[in-house]
Amino acid sequence: MDLDLSEEQQMLVDMTRGMLEEHSTIDVVRSMEDDPRGYPDELWKQMGELGLNGILIPESHGGSGQTLLEAALVYEELGRALAPVPHFVSAVMSARLLMEAGSDDQKDAWLEKIANGDAILTPAWLEPDRGFGPVGVKLAAKADGDGFTLTGTKRHVYFASAADRMIVLARSDAGVDLFLVDPAAPGVTLTHQLSQASDAQYRVDFDGVRVAAGDRIGAAGSGGAAFEKGMLDGIILLAAQAVGGAERALEETVQYAKERVQFDKPLGAFQALAHYMADASTGIDGSRVLVHEAAWNRAQGRSISRFAPMAKLFACETYREVTRVCAQIWGGVAFTREYDIQIFFRHAKQLQLSWWDTPYLEELVAADVLDR
Amino acid sequence: MDFDFSPEEQKFAEEVEQWLVENHDPVVMDPTRENFSQLADTPERRAFMKKLAKKGWLGMSWPKKYGGQEIEGVYEFILNEALSRHAAPQIGKGVGIIGKTLIRHGSEKLKQEFLPKILDAEIEFAVGYSEPQAGSDAANMQLKAEKVDGGWKLNGQKMWTTSAHFADWYWVGARTDPDKPKHDGLSLFLIPMDHPGLEVQSLPTIGKDTTNQVFFEDVFVPDDYLVGKRGQGFQMISEALDLERFTMFTLSPIADRSRVLIEWVRTATRDDQPLRNDPNVRRIIAHIATDTAVAKGLSTRFVCAAKEGGKPPTIQSSQYKLFTTTLSQRVCKDALDVAGAAGQLREGQEDAPLAGRFEGAYRATMNETVGGGSSEIQKNIIARRKLGLPKNF
Repeated sequence: MDLDLSEEQQMLVDMTRGMLEEHSTIDVVRSMEDDPRGYPDELWKQMGELGLNGILIPESHGGSGQTLLEAALVYEELGRALAPVPHFVSAVMSARLLMEAGSDDQKDAWLEKIANGDAILTPAWLEPDRGFGPVGVKLAAKADGDGFTLTGTKRHVYFASAADRMIVLARSDAGVDLFLVDPAAPGVTLTHQLSQASDAQYRVDFDGVRVAAGDRIGAAGSGGAAFEKGMLDGIILLAAQAVGGAERALEETVQYAKERVQFDKPLGAFQALAHYMADASTGIDGSRVLVHEAAWNRAQGRSISRFAPMAKLFACETYREVTRVCAQIWGGVAFTREYDIQIFFRHAKQLQLSWWDTPYLEELVAADVLDR
Repeated sequence: MDFDFSPEEQKFAEEVEQWLVENHDPVVMDPTRENFSQLADTPERRAFMKKLAKKGWLGMSWPKKYGGQEIEGVYEFILNEALSRHAAPQIGKGVGIIGKTLIRHGSEKLKQEFLPKILDAEIEFAVGYSEPQAGSDAANMQLKAEKVDGGWKLNGQKMWTTSAHFADWYWVGARTDPDKPKHDGLSLFLIPMDHPGLEVQSLPTIGKDTTNQVFFEDVFVPDDYLVGKRGQGFQMISEALDLERFTMFTLSPIADRSRVLIEWVRTATRDDQPLRNDPNVRRIIAHIATDTAVAKGLSTRFVCAAKEGGKPPTIQSSQYKLFTTTLSQRVCKDALDVAGAAGQLREGQEDAPLAGRFEGAYRATMNETVGGGSSEIQKNIIARRKLGLPKNF
């Protein structure tokens, strides 16, 4: 047993953190809040130059083909920096879907561009008043000559206005299919929606949008399974992101608790507050080791059907609770926009609500434990 | 990064597991005693410890010159987890706290006298730190040790000496220097438990077992039986606790209770429906399974920190103890909630679900967040040593 990072892994962490400290400062994060495009060019360029966008993409397609463990280490840093980048939707989810189910032509067309940051792809998945499960996908894909027409509505499509393609989950006669769709295609309407984390997310309406047969990813009816598989990887990274965010929120709060004086003592000298922070620290370290174990298992080629949902369930609940407690310790200023702790407070809850929420993850864990 | 035991460690774990299966004895191994099953408090359990000694499994991490094998502490961790998983007596006190302290600080005489007996499982110890006025404030011991010709005369009282009614020797902290600051005025003594000046009174717990209070009346201890240096008692106690905290609350019994509950939920029914179909039950089980995985991760953290050597893994073991003992209680509470009204039936009642295991465990685990440094003490340790926050009491 050994929880240390390898020298290469530590270098990856240091390099990523160093870049983010320069290019994803809190001012940059604030400047992107509610921005319809949602990410700054310079930060995205830096991510590409460091090879972070190709971290999970094989070398044959222009990436570095590293394991989910390395990716998780990067996600901890992205979480710390609250980095406003379309990395997850493009370099993780879309890349994984293409790698898992894409044709050679589709891989050749997109993976290298994703890896060097020249293209952004984003999944269009959730629908109004529908859940996270496969049954939630209702947007209709009707066979139409040599292709399909898509009709319906998607929500929470991140960075849609900047995307070169969406990967749309749609319901065809065969089941759930994945389609590559240009957000600028006729019949597609994008509506920017303001969110808790002030990110760039869109409602996307599809009104008889034509899709060529060659733009379906994978065999008919195979899209749901491919998406679930990609999600199991993806949620480990989001759990890592939660760990990073929670740790930074706690660090800044601990620092504040050493400086801010009330009743002639620093806040940290009050046991009620010190114990909040000790609990927060324990939750964060517990989250991190669970996330690492999940990512390590994936890197070893072992099943993550239990570890992955556990990791996101626990890490996101920890992030939310840690930021609640941090806000409490900051006191009234946490309620103002001027101070930064509120940004973590909002991000934490949105991360918990997104990409499989707590009830959905609880059911995944319960099914794995009780029904197999 | 590697979450697996090494092949050698794995081989040892398998060897221990197989040996414990082959040597299974319900008289020795009683999971319903919960945390008290770690005590070698009956002739059968002492005989079991002798068998462990014969296997060479006592003192594995000790230096060779004292009869050990100088192998990594992780083997003792593996052994203790396996023993506790089988509800067998464990190696914590003698090999861990007393043996290791004697090796580091004891005189040649005490080493010669006690170390071989510890390795041969010939001796059981009771540990006496707590007193009526020294609970979480452990350094506030008042047991008086007065210098007399050739030794010390002890008067006062100890609390929560769990093993006092069966142990052979008593490992006791006492105040030798009342004029010094409280942390610097304590010394450690070894006293035969059958000393006529000791009176052991049973304090039955809400679980199945008893703990004790012990009264000292003019208990004479020869100079030779003061351990280490006079006035260094508290430092030695803290050091040993840092090294051994994790042996006091092993993960296996807690993980095993989670497993027992999950197995039960998989097959139980209510109103003719499988209990596992109840959404509320599913939610509870999801969190138990997840939190148990986190506890295992926190345990892996301190094992790895301990393996690196250098500083004892104080922070990691405090985080582990805080999280895991809280979880331990919650699993018992949740199990009773899941069992419904029948959960209130005690062990021995025909209709008690799971033979009343969780009603018993609900009681027995009450003390886990108190003993061995309460949750609040662990939080103080984490706040100060990990987060660098100022002293808060």
